Amino acid sequence: MSTSACSQTSLELSLPSELGYELVARDAVAAFARRLGISAERIEDLKTVLCEVCINAMEHGNSLDPGLRVEIFCQVENERLVVEVLDQGMSRYTAGATPLSIGDKVAGRGSLRGMGMLLISQLCDEAGFVPWSGPGNRFRFAFHRQPGPNLHG
Amino acid sequence: MMLEDELTVSTRERDGVAIIDLSGDVTTFAEEKINNAYREVTSKGARNVLLNFRQNDYINSAGIAILIGIVTEVTRNDQKLAVSGLSQHFQKIFRMVGLAQYAEIYQDEQEALAAFKARS
Repeated sequence: MSTSACSQTSLELSLPSELGYELVARDAVAAFARRLGISAERIEDLKTVLCEVCINAMEHGNSLDPGLRVEIFCQVENERLVVEVLDQGMSRYTAGATPLSIGDKVAGRGSLRGMGMLLISQLCDEAGFVPWSGPGNRFRFAFHRQPGPNLHG
Repeated sequence: MMLEDELTVSTRERDGVAIIDLSGDVTTFAEEKINNAYREVTSKGARNVLLNFRQNDYINSAGIAILIGIVTEVTRNDQKLAVSGLSQHFQKIFRMVGLAQYAEIYQDEQEALAAFKARS
């Protein structure tokens, strides 16, 4: 993993596509968010969201090829912590259809997996893919620095 | 280099409840350990099962999928399931994904055992 701090309010990380490295990124980004004054409760949400986005980038974007990197860019924009996660995958992946309910999963009507995007959409203030012409996928999410109307929990 | 799997799973029985203690990260790497522990207590005839988390600071969506699998088995085997020891954050996550519909959430083991006793 490599890191660099471009300014007082930005952070960049680069990870191999191996499960487990999302935890290294999680701890670094959580420490960054703490310095920005984001509350402890929201940092827990941020940690979960970041890990899920990184796992998607590793698994779906980079097909768990450890030679492919996942890049993370964190910066402050208009009182929000904005995080972008880029993979180098050659194929696009999308959020897909509405995830199955847990009732459907327990009834055997689909995969037990697939809760990651639900967690991402529920826990952060903004989330979605960013259209761009570069290789791979670019996912962006944001947390307000102050509690806003979309505060959960 | 693979980062280490840091989950420890063990089982014990207390007051007629099969307790599965989970200490560490609940991720895709936890599947075999958790499923083996559940099969072990079920093979011994457990009717009441408690998943006792110990300040786990990482449960991801793959870990949640494993727990949904346990819920599926518990439903099929007509057992009762509860969870204890989750942080406030993961209690929220369990409610968000719907796991709380299938497993009562308690602050700690004592509270869970008292609830099982009251229901029996």
